[in-house]
Amino acid sequence: MRQAGTYSGIRFGGGNGAHSLPLARIKKIMKRCGSGDEVKMISGDAPVVFAKACELFIKELTQKSWTLTLQGKRRILHKDDVASAVVATDVFDFLVGLVSDGDDYDHHAQNLVPKERETVLEE
Amino acid sequence: MAEAPASPGGGSHESGDQSPRSNVREQDRYLPIANISRIMKKALPANGKIAKDAKETVQECVSEFISFVTSEASDKCQREKRKTINGDDLLWAMATLGFEDYIDPLKIYLTRYREMEGDTKGSAKGGDASVKKDIQPSQNAQLAHQGSFSQGVNYTNSQSQAQHMMVPMQGTE
Repeated sequence: MRQAGTYSGIRFGGGNGAHSLPLARIKKIMKRCGSGDEVKMISGDAPVVFAKACELFIKELTQKSWTLTLQGKRRILHKDDVASAVVATDVFDFLVGLVSDGDDYDHHAQNLVPKERETVLEE
Repeated sequence: MAEAPASPGGGSHESGDQSPRSNVREQDRYLPIANISRIMKKALPANGKIAKDAKETVQECVSEFISFVTSEASDKCQREKRKTINGDDLLWAMATLGFEDYIDPLKIYLTRYREMEGDTKGSAKGGDASVKKDIQPSQNAQLAHQGSFSQGVNYTNSQSQAQHMMVPMQGTE
């Protein structure tokens, strides 16, 4: 049987520094990346790094989006604000296709092989 | 055996509260929207509100971020003929891809995590032996899971700091 506690239950030994994102899920998403034979094994600290990195990423993206919400004299952060923040920020270039192509895009996003993504970046 | 065919695993509770956006299982592709939402709210002033479509967009962006960084790290591992992606590879990838602002906080976080991992096992004799019992088997499961059929050693070698995590397990008895 799979040990439920491995990633989900016991986070930081139940201490105060619980991860804000589930490690097992992060690992699953990592494994989905690319064609599958690329990511062979993932060390225990990799999802931990991502748990925090994703938090930083979400915060940065949200704050940048919120600035645009305020500029538009609105009080509710909408998808368009996120899209504009992505377009306005260099490091978020890899997300441009995802936010601009509408709802359907995410179906393709997962199949995008890294090579293609790099090409998109270089253009 | 340690890896039963991917049950919803870490987050089982959250898949219900969002509209189905695709046929692929949400839990394989995205982090739980409740967690995302919580982090987003923390980044806003108290009166700030977030539309559902914004949460879903950020949710997609996060998965893309993970893939983006993982690909870069994976390429590096391939170049260096290593099979295991570790935390340092990810830090390197993030720095390469323009997220160098994340590196310092991540290093601090990782150090604290490793210390706590060590503490939990090292101090277990102090009283909370039950905690220790819970953790050790799962650690082993994790190792078996990661090492697959090669060897758990691979894991230990891949990152020197991890070794101190292993010591209490081998040395307590």
